[in-house]
Amino acid sequence: MTQILEIHQLEKSFGSLKVLEGIDLTVKEGEVVALIGASGSGKSTLLRCINRLEPPSAGRIRFMDAEVTPSNLNWVRKQIGMVFQRFNLFPHLTALENVALAPRKVLGVSAEVALREGRELLDRVQLSEKAQNYPGELSGGQQQRVAIARALAMNPRLLLFDEPTSALDPELVGEVLAVMRNLAREGRTMVVATHEMGFAKEVAHRVLFLDAGRILEQGTPEEIFSNPKEERTRTFLARILER
Amino acid sequence: MRVLRPLVLVLMFVCVFASLNSFCFAQDALDRIRQRGELVIATDATYPPFEFREAEVLKGFDVELGNEIGKELGVKVRWLNLEWAGVLGSLESQKCDLVMAGVTITEERKQKGYLFSRPYFLSGQTVAKRKGDSRIQKAQDILDKRVSVQMQTTGQFAAEKIGVPKDRLAKFDVLQDGLMDVRNNKSDALVADLPALKEILRKNFPELELVGGIIQEENVGIVAWRAEARLVSAVNFALEKIMVDGRYARLHAEWIREPLTTQILGGLDRVGKAGSVVAPARTFEGLEFLTKQKREVAGSSGNVQGGAPTPPTASALSIRWDVIRASLPQLFLGARVTLILTFLTLLFGTPAGLAVALCRISRIRALRWLAVTYIEIVRGTPLLMQIYVIYFVLPALHLDFSPFASGIIALSVNAAAYIAEIFRGGIESIDSGQMEAARSLGMDYFGAMRWVILPQTLRRVLPPLTNEAIALLKDSSLVSVVAVTELMREGKEIATNSGSATTVYLAIAVIYLLLTLPLTYLVSRLENRWQPIRREAKVQKGTKA
Ligand SMILES: Nc1ncnc2c1ncn2[C@@H]1O[C@H](COP(=O)(O)OP(=O)(O)OP(=O)(O)O)[C@@H](O)[C@H]1O
Ligand SMILES: [Mg+2]
Repeated sequence: MTQILEIHQLEKSFGSLKVLEGIDLTVKEGEVVALIGASGSGKSTLLRCINRLEPPSAGRIRFMDAEVTPSNLNWVRKQIGMVFQRFNLFPHLTALENVALAPRKVLGVSAEVALREGRELLDRVQLSEKAQNYPGELSGGQQQRVAIARALAMNPRLLLFDEPTSALDPELVGEVLAVMRNLAREGRTMVVATHEMGFAKEVAHRVLFLDAGRILEQGTPEEIFSNPKEERTRTFLARILER
Repeated sequence: MRVLRPLVLVLMFVCVFASLNSFCFAQDALDRIRQRGELVIATDATYPPFEFREAEVLKGFDVELGNEIGKELGVKVRWLNLEWAGVLGSLESQKCDLVMAGVTITEERKQKGYLFSRPYFLSGQTVAKRKGDSRIQKAQDILDKRVSVQMQTTGQFAAEKIGVPKDRLAKFDVLQDGLMDVRNNKSDALVADLPALKEILRKNFPELELVGGIIQEENVGIVAWRAEARLVSAVNFALEKIMVDGRYARLHAEWIREPLTTQILGGLDRVGKAGSVVAPARTFEGLEFLTKQKREVAGSSGNVQGGAPTPPTASALSIRWDVIRASLPQLFLGARVTLILTFLTLLFGTPAGLAVALCRISRIRALRWLAVTYIEIVRGTPLLMQIYVIYFVLPALHLDFSPFASGIIALSVNAAAYIAEIFRGGIESIDSGQMEAARSLGMDYFGAMRWVILPQTLRRVLPPLTNEAIALLKDSSLVSVVAVTELMREGKEIATNSGSATTVYLAIAVIYLLLTLPLTYLVSRLENRWQPIRREAKVQKGTKA
């Protein structure tokens, strides 16, 4: 399998606060990587460094065959989809327009084609009847599925999810995870920051435990969940599975 | 339906105003003055040597003469310093008892209902031009030039009478602004009273000179409101006394800088006989309260000047529908100019404001700094000053604009700063996740702004932008200082002119309201249209039908 993402000695500080340190990570095509770790451990920051929503303080990030730099940023972002914790749908556009906007304005696809493909994508996330609704008229779970369709519309090589279900009411989590499960099954390359240990266990090929800005431990779900080596991983898992 | 409520408000406003009328009782001015022990005289202190301010003190020929008249009436004199446009109107609203402002006695003014005293000064209209402007040798030479005047003075009337076309006449509130206009090469000549012009040129405008000769001789008088015949008789009596006992000659020598000759005194009467001015008053029944006689005298017009046949009890607050009807066409012209000013300013000011806002939030420090400086300068200085700078000061840098263009530029420069702050507030109120989502989809900064941030901003800033538009519509009246005739200026002129300022100002207020209401209405419509929920409801209805 080919490598899609290669991170080498990534470091990120906000002022004097060091948030990420010595991050090395390689993601292969078709791989699903779960990022777990306590709140504030740096999961979001790591994801945001990958598509440079946050510029890294030090280290290298290679995406496909190129180094990610400020100059090829828009090219990189076209190929990396991102799904946010709070959806960040465009409230002035309908669900369908949300999905079709970037293909039209960024890729230059014709309105007709963008809307047709947008409808197909909404169909895949089971939202074809909501195509003409505005985000404010949708439930959280529906909004997050529109956001996933929006990211997919650019046909990205890599999908980043930043805790996509943690802003949702518990009964709405399932529908979003179902969509993500399908994506994983299709062979999409995904990096998912999540608190859903069930999902990580079932879907991820690899689990990374982030602690205070470092990757403390990584391995297959079985290794991490059944037999964690590090004391801190154990306490974290104990605390989160207790809930 | 939403527009109905404000309309009802307007009607109520008018009704309340009209009914105030019945609570007011007309009272003889002389009695009022006696009760108060104070005579209030309105003037416009921009008119040396008649009235001007020096080191905070009101001085001049009129001022000392007025104080002498007060002495004769046995009361104190309080001076009310107003803009010329409001001076005569203040008689109607009873803010003052008399006006002494070098006012020329004219038939038109008498017909408007102003009463004049006997003439106390012989004056005349003359022309000022730039020194060395050889094109103007005599008054007739200004007919094809741009001519400035002080609005609604006999200078304006004289210029109109000798045939200066309306569109080449620049009307200023203040005489000195008109002279500046000539000095700056924007106008070529100015018409005004000889003594005032001579004095102002001597003091402040060495670059200008008088064209020899007088366009027309005029008499200056003291003005009272129409029903106050007794007061005018008293004033005439006082004037005669002052003229006879030598005080007048002393004031004349001091302020006019010419000894008083019999020729001048004769001139007063000559013009009086030739024109409409009647001979000096000989009856003094108005002064009886001073001699404490009890005999009641019916208000007789006697020898009092003027004498428009107006009902003596007409109150300051009654609405004169005839005046409104007569002035409507002119007011509509003014309203049109106001609307065009507002529209063009919004047209230029909104994109400019957006550009400034984008600079203000830019990551480039120099742009940010420029935008902040611009906004702070504009917001920290009065609009009036900005208009002055653009019209009067920029010509020194060879940036010369017509009054109308200057007005548009000044208003746009001003509005852009406020609109920039509105846009900045709107943009900053959009959740940062919107920009991140747009950028993560591969849009560049401007694409994200164009397709994601600004469409949302626009919906949010629409209400504050409307407020700005309404404020602008009203503030546009300030450009009248550089001789743009918009609604307020048109109204002021009619008000000075018609003798019923209250009515005219009320009409203007209503017109302004009628102009701002559609704006408010339009925006509430737009807001409804843009509300996603409602649009959705409509779409569904549409598909069912
Ligand atoms: N823009 C920023 N400026 C300053 N500090 C920041 C910024 N963004 C994040 N941080 C800090 O960096 C640290 C890591 O934050 P991050 O959001 O990556 O954690 P996380 O693992 O995603 O946590 P959570 O589970 O709560 O989302 C935190 O201490 C946070 O306060
Ligand atoms: Mg996070």
